[in-house]
Amino acid sequence: MKQFGKILKFELKNYFTNKVFVGITLFFVLAITVVMFFPRISETFDKEDNSTNVESYEDVEELPVMLVAGENAEYVSEIFSASFLDYKVEAAQGSVDDIKERIVSGDAECAFVMSNPTEYTYYVNNLSMMDMNTQIADEVLLSVYRMGFMVGNGISAEQAEEVLSAQIQHETQTLGKDQFQNYLYTYIMIMALYMVILLYGQMVANNVATEKSSRAMELLITSANPVSMMFGKVIASCTAGFVQLVSIFGSALLFFNINKSYWEGADMIESLFDMPVDLLIYMLVFFVLGFLIYAFMFSAVGSTASKLEDINTSVTPIVLIFVAGFIVVMVSMGTGNFDTTLIKVCSYIPFTSPMVMFARVVMTTVPVYEIAISIAILIASVIGIGVVSAKIYRVGVLLYGTPPKISAIIKAIRKA
Amino acid sequence: MVLELKNIEKSFGEKQVLKGVSLCAQGGQAFGLLGRNGAGKTTSIRILMNVFPANGGEVLLDGKPIDYKKVKFGYLPEERGLYPKKKIIDQLVYFAELNGVKRSDAVKSVDRWLARLGMTEYRNKRLDTLSKGNQQKIQLITALAHDPQIVILDEPFSGLDPVNAMLLKDVVKEEIEKGKIVLFSSHQMNYIEEFCDSIAILNGGEVVLSGDLYEIKRNYPRDRLVIRSEQTAEIAESFGENCAVTENGELIVTLDSPDDKQTVMKGLVESYDIDEVKVFEPSLNDIFVEYAGHQE
Repeated sequence: MKQFGKILKFELKNYFTNKVFVGITLFFVLAITVVMFFPRISETFDKEDNSTNVESYEDVEELPVMLVAGENAEYVSEIFSASFLDYKVEAAQGSVDDIKERIVSGDAECAFVMSNPTEYTYYVNNLSMMDMNTQIADEVLLSVYRMGFMVGNGISAEQAEEVLSAQIQHETQTLGKDQFQNYLYTYIMIMALYMVILLYGQMVANNVATEKSSRAMELLITSANPVSMMFGKVIASCTAGFVQLVSIFGSALLFFNINKSYWEGADMIESLFDMPVDLLIYMLVFFVLGFLIYAFMFSAVGSTASKLEDINTSVTPIVLIFVAGFIVVMVSMGTGNFDTTLIKVCSYIPFTSPMVMFARVVMTTVPVYEIAISIAILIASVIGIGVVSAKIYRVGVLLYGTPPKISAIIKAIRKA
Repeated sequence: MVLELKNIEKSFGEKQVLKGVSLCAQGGQAFGLLGRNGAGKTTSIRILMNVFPANGGEVLLDGKPIDYKKVKFGYLPEERGLYPKKKIIDQLVYFAELNGVKRSDAVKSVDRWLARLGMTEYRNKRLDTLSKGNQQKIQLITALAHDPQIVILDEPFSGLDPVNAMLLKDVVKEEIEKGKIVLFSSHQMNYIEEFCDSIAILNGGEVVLSGDLYEIKRNYPRDRLVIRSEQTAEIAESFGENCAVTENGELIVTLDSPDDKQTVMKGLVESYDIDEVKVFEPSLNDIFVEYAGHQE
């Protein structure tokens, strides 16, 4: 136990004095800071812009030209002028080819060529992803058409307008989980878990392999108990990962609160920082357990490699299992369907449950006993894998040469 | 303090690496563990240090099974290596702490050793900035800073220049004088011969020869004489087939019986101009080649 403490301290110091570790953490904290201050900064700039440009504002902007041609061009262009305030709407004469030419030459930005009151062709040079003109035109034309039809059938213009402008009022009361609101935490948590496990898992594996390749292991195994050594490393990396996450999310929370007034209206962001305590606790539990189970495996694999170059191939199976779990969650996140058999099974398999069960808990209503079973399986697996990994580690650190086959490792563990 | 390995057996898979190894090392003496590559030296050392258990046999200290919680080992592995990118003081203190020394004591002890080996100026440098010989000295500190009762040095002299080798010899002598058990494993026979009172030669996982080095040498049949003289040709002629000339011009005469040596020596001194005549004693190198020369 004493040795474990010393190893933990030494390994932690390694992380906290590692320039890459400190650099990455600072970078993320800085990036988060910029994001959190962004509304405040942009508002400040906007104010400056407004104050300097007030006088020239009117004559600076020349609105792009929108052409309307074909049937009833004059009438439609009048209506469009009221709907497209960002354009200078003109009724155009001439053939379709002339109109096309005016658009290509840049003289006009776009054109509506009406075939009849409910049919038109929209011409534009480059169709932007954000181009909403056809939607607006559809709506406007549709209500004009309906209005005309109603008036033509004896309904007064006022009545027609009332019918057309009627709005349905509705309210949603969520009794279970609001997927939309919780989407962001789940997404961020899964991404964080994914990054941290892969990053730190690899670090643990590299760390062990480096000790082996530099032959510091020769001295370590005679000075310390391999089990303390492995647990010291794993717990240190877990702590380092946790500290990194806390500093990044902590600074995000701090800077969000400082700039809270500037974030009003950004529901997604506000809900993120208003995470319910029970979800936060689940997040911690699944994070720690998920991290441990993978870190143990990474350290065991690291111990069987004698050179750093071997690590990448050795850890591939672990990475694949992990990525499979990640994909399962991401697919369900995309479809919003968490009731498939695959998801349910994966939420009990210890290698995938940290991500899958967490996503289920946040996105849907899961009975408490199911969560308890999943966590119990996970804890048992962490202990089991910890013990097996320690055995592999004990044998692995003494092996040099080509990485042993799995069968050879199992044999060695049985004998140890 | 007496350290004993009794009938140690160890197999890795099908391969039996140690086949009943027994040896005995005394406190205040150096013990030489010899053997060719793959003879089982490192495995014996690892079992002795409890890195893995033996399949059979026992390790005793003063007649009782060794208590690894109480006994401290110092180890200089043949495969040298520490953390190349770390500050020297940090890693030396870390290793001393792992071996059960309090931090404050560890720092003091490490500083004392750095001074003793003339390495104080490198205290806060990274290990990989040092020359090979200096790295070796740092590695030696990891074996000694926690004041172990049993010191195991595997090829301690490899890579050291004569001055550093001298320094290491002094350090090792001091450790022996403190009553510690010092276990040497080396292929440089001259150093073993210089330091070790007892040896064991391992071959194919068995001890093929062990005991007091002086006794071993004395027990060789004393039926050969080494002669140094200006009149080599004449002497060689007179002994005929029983005489051989060595590379450095000495004559080695094999007698019919060890009992004749007194008479023959007397006769030589009376008949020829003799610079030196003595009974031939094999060097450790000769003994090693004889016992470990053929791999079992």
